Amino acid sequence: MQSKSFDVVVVGSGIAGLTAAAAAARQSLRVALISTGPGSIALGAGWLKAEPMGPAAEAAELSEALAFFCETSRLAGCPLMGDIDRPRPMPNYLGSFESVAFAPQRLWNAGGDGMASTVIVGIRGLSIFDENFMAERLNERVRVAGSPYAYKARQIALSHDFGTPSTVLQIGLCFDRDPAFRAELMAALRTAASGFERILLPGILGLHSSEWMLAQVEAELGCSVCEIPTLPPSILGLRLFHRLQSYLHSNGVELFAGFPAQRLLLRDGMCAGVEVTAPGHPMTLRGESVVLATGRRSAPLLNEPIAGCDAHMRPISSAGDLLAQNLFLAGTLAHSGLGHPGDTMRILSGYRAGTFAATTRGAYAS
Amino acid sequence: MESTQVVIIGGGATGAGILWDLSLRGIAAILLEQGDIANGATGRCHGLLHSGGRYAVKDPEAARSCAIENRIIKKIAPHCVEEVGGLFVQCPQDDPAFFEQWWKAAAVAGIESRRLGSEEARHLEPGLAPDILGAFTCPDAHVDVFRLTLANLEAAAARGGKFHTYAKVTAIDTEDGRVRAVKYRDQRTGEQHKIFCEMAINAAGGWAQAVAAMAGVDVPVRCDKGSLLVINHRLSRSVINRCRKASDADILVPAGPVCILGTSSIEVPNPEDLSASAEEIDDLLRQGSVMIPEVAEARILRVFCGVRPLYLPRQTGTSAGREISRGFFLLNHGAQDGLGGFVSIVGGKLTTYRQMAAAVSDCVAQELGVQVECTTDTVPLQGTVDGKTHRRLNHLLPAPVAHKLEIRLGPEIARVMDAIEERPELAEIVCDCEMVTRAELEYVLGSNAPVPVQTIADIGRRTRLGFGPCQGTFCGYKAMLTAYRTHRWTASQAANELSAYLHERRKGQSFVHHGQQMEQLDLNCDLYGVDRPAEALSGARDAK
Repeated sequence: MQSKSFDVVVVGSGIAGLTAAAAAARQSLRVALISTGPGSIALGAGWLKAEPMGPAAEAAELSEALAFFCETSRLAGCPLMGDIDRPRPMPNYLGSFESVAFAPQRLWNAGGDGMASTVIVGIRGLSIFDENFMAERLNERVRVAGSPYAYKARQIALSHDFGTPSTVLQIGLCFDRDPAFRAELMAALRTAASGFERILLPGILGLHSSEWMLAQVEAELGCSVCEIPTLPPSILGLRLFHRLQSYLHSNGVELFAGFPAQRLLLRDGMCAGVEVTAPGHPMTLRGESVVLATGRRSAPLLNEPIAGCDAHMRPISSAGDLLAQNLFLAGTLAHSGLGHPGDTMRILSGYRAGTFAATTRGAYAS
Repeated sequence: MESTQVVIIGGGATGAGILWDLSLRGIAAILLEQGDIANGATGRCHGLLHSGGRYAVKDPEAARSCAIENRIIKKIAPHCVEEVGGLFVQCPQDDPAFFEQWWKAAAVAGIESRRLGSEEARHLEPGLAPDILGAFTCPDAHVDVFRLTLANLEAAAARGGKFHTYAKVTAIDTEDGRVRAVKYRDQRTGEQHKIFCEMAINAAGGWAQAVAAMAGVDVPVRCDKGSLLVINHRLSRSVINRCRKASDADILVPAGPVCILGTSSIEVPNPEDLSASAEEIDDLLRQGSVMIPEVAEARILRVFCGVRPLYLPRQTGTSAGREISRGFFLLNHGAQDGLGGFVSIVGGKLTTYRQMAAAVSDCVAQELGVQVECTTDTVPLQGTVDGKTHRRLNHLLPAPVAHKLEIRLGPEIARVMDAIEERPELAEIVCDCEMVTRAELEYVLGSNAPVPVQTIADIGRRTRLGFGPCQGTFCGYKAMLTAYRTHRWTASQAANELSAYLHERRKGQSFVHHGQQMEQLDLNCDLYGVDRPAEALSGARDAK
């Protein structure tokens, strides 16, 4: 069986796995990131919700982890901004408001209702987003707040035929790849936005767009641009995922996307690596340390029930034994006590597991 | 103020069947249902059209009526039935004598059957456990309970029958020992209404006791809860029954894209607020995996509970009411309790709903002096789609979508096709599991719809939207936007309807909080920014 060796092998590319890989990569180690497909972050809205915190003792470490994640996102070209202690209400696809702690600029722009004259723009054929529905919902809040500006709704039509119905994915891909389409979209948006200080769109402006490119869009339109998340696949979640993934890749992390982890090589209290399936040639990825961040799918890989983690994020069996000296848990499974951890807690465990995996590699004390 | 000859209380299969039967006989009737159609026992069962095999040994009379009704329903409502066939499987731990007894009893009850060896049975059903000893075939089938109830109501409406949904009966007025009127409250507006009538029929299933009490009559109904599991795909081609004395988790029914395993049997105090316990679910899974091992690992979409409204006469003996069969009871309170014009129909099974309706209608016809015989056993519930329309439909929509639409709408399909031709964007598929198009949604939401919808869950009962793995998370949202666009709801009403709908769907999911469905539930909860269900089970199966 083909085999490759790394310092740190991370399994899972959800928010915890990506954070762990980034934390390990900054130590100039050889890191592998294995995933079956895009993880939780790609299904998300592209923002981090404000969520109930873990124990107070973790507060300092949590802000360190979040600062690291925000810095990583900045380097990746999709800076997340915000403050864990001062979440803001942001509209979702129901036109309801959610408490959000961190978000990229184009999402933040959608908050602060009634502070600027705003047009909500829908696209004919894109049935998942209804500009009238959104305007009516957001105006309920404007009425309550007594703000001077009401949201207006407009629809634009594009000549490109995506079939019935068109999806945000199709539009986002065309925005990335087809300059003619992009030009037509921009012209239509410019017309729709004329006379308004702010334009609110479903998330369609590219699956890979960097902050710099989106600032260009804003400059071209001459007004503030807000994107609203749609139901998955949401372009905003995918964009954050793609930017982070490319950033890791350009920093030397080897990506094994589409390679489902099959088995952990557990022996004599150590985890030697991970066996992955790939068409025609199963592979063994050996690691000095292994980080398991496969969410709900971790249980079958571990082969036995887990009671929790030790102080170094290492799984402990229900009998109280350490499963392996060099195996670290991150994400949902690491927080079994919390039920379902939020994004911020998963970043914390990813940061911890990645850091422990990188610093203790090779040298383990029991 | 309305008046009619007969008021029927209860909009399950039986009530709808009575409305259809009376309408065919030219008797004016109005049906009142407290919620949406098929909201009680009808909508919360396996959807099994019994061949009679289940009762062959223990209850030959019920088996015989099931065998007869099985053939009749397939003939009068083919669009509601999927003729999947069934097997009675002999497992090594079960009594071999029962297996042989079954074979003889099936012949007596008139159930077509064939004996299969272990090899042959597993060739037919590769999912069966390798250690099964043999099997008998039978003509079991899956019946779409919502469609069947709708079909009865629609057919009745075409003959002048009337019905009101979300109409909760609040009082039954009597005078001089006869029923005079029925009062109900419109659940949506809160308005009170009164219908003057000559007779009232109590077909309220689990609620029959409460309804009878309004007329001052005692009808003791025991609510026997059954919990069922919905598995995300079909684990078998045909209905799989375990050939033993009826017990828990004995029947697996393939239903549309999913299959349903059940059921347990636990007495509960009332037919509302039902829930299943972890032990109950674990037991269903354990028992079910004896026949089909894959059950143990399957992805469970949801759990739902229904009640069998069983009739328990207070005093046994002849005074307990006119016993028509061991399956169901027709109680003519005129003779029994001195209240004329009041009839209760209790017990029975979905498969024999038509027979129950016929018995009630015979009784009504006799009281009202109407000399028309029952014809529900021969008159089809739905017209057929002509060849030209069929070809036009298949030109308009992809074959699987067209097929499902044709089954659901029958001749009404022409309206939906016209709409799609006029506005091609209506061909959009809103629910991928059940292939529901936007055009069909607009049809059920529109004023021409045969039975009006009030909620997204009602849309589900008309179209099966939201019955698949996403449990309405994606299609519910699209249905909500569709309703908004047809000006059915304002934006905030629409958003509230969606929240209420998802909350309701989540209840059924919370019981199966593990494995892949747990990931789905996490996603569903994240998407709408709501909390996870509190009663979520920790997931004993994850530890395996």
